[in-house]
Amino acid sequence: MAAVQDTIDQVKDIDVDQYKYGFETDIESVRAPKGLNEDIIRYISARKDEPEWMLEWRLDAYQRWQTMTEPTWAKVDYPKIDFQDLYYYSAPKSTEGPKSLDEVDPELLATYEKLGIPLKEQAVLAGVQGAKVAVDAVFDSVSVVTTFKDELKKAGVIFCSISEALKTHPELVKRYIGSVVPKSDNYYAALNSAVYSDGSFVYIPEGVRCPMELSTYFRINDKETGQFERTLIIAEKGSYVSYLEGCTAPMRDENQMHAAVVELVALDDAEIKYSTVQNWYPGDKDGKGGIYNFVTKRADCRGNNSKVSWTQVETGSAITWKYPSCILRGDNSRGEFYSIAVSNGRQQIDSGTKMIHLGKNTSSRIISKGIAAGRSDNTYRGLVSAHRKATNSRNFTQCDSLLIGDQCGAHTVPYIEAKNSTAHFEHEATTSKISDDKLFYCMQRGLNEEEAVALIVNGFVRDVLQQLPMEFMAETQKLIGISLEGSVG
Amino acid sequence: MTVAKIKTKVEQELADQFAHVSGKLPGDASVKGARQAAIDTFDAQGLPHRHIEEWKYTDLRAIVKEALPLNVGDASAITIADVIVALGPLQTIDAQRVVLVNGAYRKELSSTEAQSGVTITPLSEALARGPVTAKGFGAGEAAPADDAVLALNAAYMTDGAVVEVATGTEVERPIIIAHVRAGGEAGFTAARHVLRVGANATVTVVEAFVSLPGAAVAGQMNTASEVDVGDGAHVDHIKVAVDTGAVTHLASWIGRLGKDSAYHGYHHTQGVGLARNQMFVTFDGEGAEVDLSGSYLGRGKEHVDNTLVVDHAVPHGTSRELFKCVLDDNARGIFQGKVIVQQIAQKTDGKQMAQALMLSPDTEFDSKPELEIYADDVLCGHGSTVAELDEGLMFYCRARGIPEDQARSLLVQSFIGEAIEVVEHEQVRGAITAYAEQWLEERAARSS
Repeated sequence: MAAVQDTIDQVKDIDVDQYKYGFETDIESVRAPKGLNEDIIRYISARKDEPEWMLEWRLDAYQRWQTMTEPTWAKVDYPKIDFQDLYYYSAPKSTEGPKSLDEVDPELLATYEKLGIPLKEQAVLAGVQGAKVAVDAVFDSVSVVTTFKDELKKAGVIFCSISEALKTHPELVKRYIGSVVPKSDNYYAALNSAVYSDGSFVYIPEGVRCPMELSTYFRINDKETGQFERTLIIAEKGSYVSYLEGCTAPMRDENQMHAAVVELVALDDAEIKYSTVQNWYPGDKDGKGGIYNFVTKRADCRGNNSKVSWTQVETGSAITWKYPSCILRGDNSRGEFYSIAVSNGRQQIDSGTKMIHLGKNTSSRIISKGIAAGRSDNTYRGLVSAHRKATNSRNFTQCDSLLIGDQCGAHTVPYIEAKNSTAHFEHEATTSKISDDKLFYCMQRGLNEEEAVALIVNGFVRDVLQQLPMEFMAETQKLIGISLEGSVG
Repeated sequence: MTVAKIKTKVEQELADQFAHVSGKLPGDASVKGARQAAIDTFDAQGLPHRHIEEWKYTDLRAIVKEALPLNVGDASAITIADVIVALGPLQTIDAQRVVLVNGAYRKELSSTEAQSGVTITPLSEALARGPVTAKGFGAGEAAPADDAVLALNAAYMTDGAVVEVATGTEVERPIIIAHVRAGGEAGFTAARHVLRVGANATVTVVEAFVSLPGAAVAGQMNTASEVDVGDGAHVDHIKVAVDTGAVTHLASWIGRLGKDSAYHGYHHTQGVGLARNQMFVTFDGEGAEVDLSGSYLGRGKEHVDNTLVVDHAVPHGTSRELFKCVLDDNARGIFQGKVIVQQIAQKTDGKQMAQALMLSPDTEFDSKPELEIYADDVLCGHGSTVAELDEGLMFYCRARGIPEDQARSLLVQSFIGEAIEVVEHEQVRGAITAYAEQWLEERAARSS
């Protein structure tokens, strides 16, 4: 079955030449000299007034990075990156370091307004009473503002930029940083550990349900810079937090790099919901420009009965190399991964997840929908593994992909490794597995099969998307209509 | 940074051995040239190891500890009766037999019938006339050009069967190619079969790997089969390997499918210490159909790896894969299936399924069902499951008065039976079922 016209139109609407966030903010910036060496790392660290141990940590990561080689196993193809031809630090001159809202450069506020991100605390979305979202806005290498800080503080929640956390809560940062993604975990994680500039830090104390959604909005603005942010979220026993991440960049002819590290720690009975709408500039129709997105995201379900859920909507970036993972260490812990990846133009996406079952009675669920159009390549790459001691682990994986046009490619590379006989793993990649009952129900009411399948799949997708805040709904709404008829594994 | 490649002891021995035996290997000057080129390829690659994606789960460099001496020629004093006994349940099949003892074609033990349109020649004789390669191989074939196991086979191959079936010929009785291991000396067997099936011809070929009582416990096999399926032809190709836990089996099948042809490949493996069955199939004509399936029963420390690459290079192809694996003790099962659908291969229909049943807590199953799709109007899917015996089903059987052991055997049988059912030839299917039953009986005997 080929794709229906509706779907083709929907995907066209989010084609690379429709990129809406490609404007550039004219703002004076302070940069570190071009290139990468120990001095640059010292410069970044000094700029942020970091403690000595942090600098040592960075330098160690840098040394390790130098001995590593760029990974080539992913199904992405790009010219060799010259890591010396980048600016590793760039900050708007007027707003170095986070300040209160009144002090932020109006130019920056205007930028975020244009992007549809409300930075004013009174700003509540029309028609959505009470839907408050605290935002940490990261502009190039620095966090410019974090909203609703006081209200969060009352609840005991720490939400600030990681550079601020290094000053105010160094013990927490020291304890958890690198504990989920070690500094030499992989090539890009090591690079990030050496030069990371900013990012968000979240700490939810024991038993607290975070009173509002937390969000970080990443914006790359400056030319020839790379953005290397680091996010660290710690959910203490019995806490809950929902965190959102959004990102955009101007349209430029040259490629820019984004290599982030996200670490999540969930202790006993804690739950973290992490949602991403990744909308970096994807490059133009001919594949010129765009962001190279090399991201390491990992959650450690350290406590018993903990839960982490990753939701991602991927529409941007020239290259995406990203595998949000869950280490299910605690007994009865649960990991979830929901993903919609749409590639168009000449985008290349190699994304998926890892569910590593270590504890007893751990369970995971993976739902991945890939849609490839234009001349793009869209790969799902995932690992589900049960270790010797992971008795009664359960996994269900479904990954569907859809091709629109005959110039694109959709690939599925799942790895399933069971080292324990009590593991029950199921992996499937067909749409025919949609419950016959549901299909029958819809068709009995006059829908044809294709409409019925679309309705059911969209119903599911909608569930996932509704977890996202209203700001992101507009751009993701377009995806909702996409049906996955004629899906291939 | 350049790192000087360090050869393992086995790699060095394999290279050294070639220098010693190459003079004894069959073939004219061009064959000798090809052998040298192949050993050079192997030399450059070394044994496959876990850093090579296709060998991620089967690290030969770590597993293979010694290079056994190559079996060249054979003069074991064995009789047809010995061979028949060794064939076990397969002896009941009404078939023609080609017998290779320790890798050498033994005409006096073989019983092939004269049918017009069918010729069976020992590979050693064919090689003496020049290289034997099925037509159509070359560009676009799914087998990697630098596969070290195939290269080893090409360098060392001593004998095998060249089966040619002329256009339109229907070969009534299946052809069993029996590999018999005999004698107390552990050795390395390298054999290659070439199967050329003309347009609209039909043939069933069974490769059996068995050993005689008194044969050395250890042994190494590296066999390759080239299968060329002509337009409209139908080929059933089955491998049954039943051996000891100390034997290494490396088998590579390379297939090419003509227009509207059908190729059904099947692997049954049980009691083999280390087995790697790799299948590389390319669609060369529209409307062809391929079915690659298999059953494997592992116990002890056995390691069975089924790896396949199906390349849909033309439109309207159909491919089906179903692999079922039962694991006991510390056995490890591996399935790696890659289905490639090229851009022009519209209307491809591909389905892939790999399932494992784990009977003991220390087993391991690794599965990687992979799809690489470049065409938009296709229907492809894959699935993979891992589980232990369903307690609900066990309860159902027990509630009906079936003792626990029997209930377990019954459920395992029905699980593996689903795969065996794919085999079309009734007697062959029956023989594989008998082997599987034998395995279950042995299991029951051990646990009682």
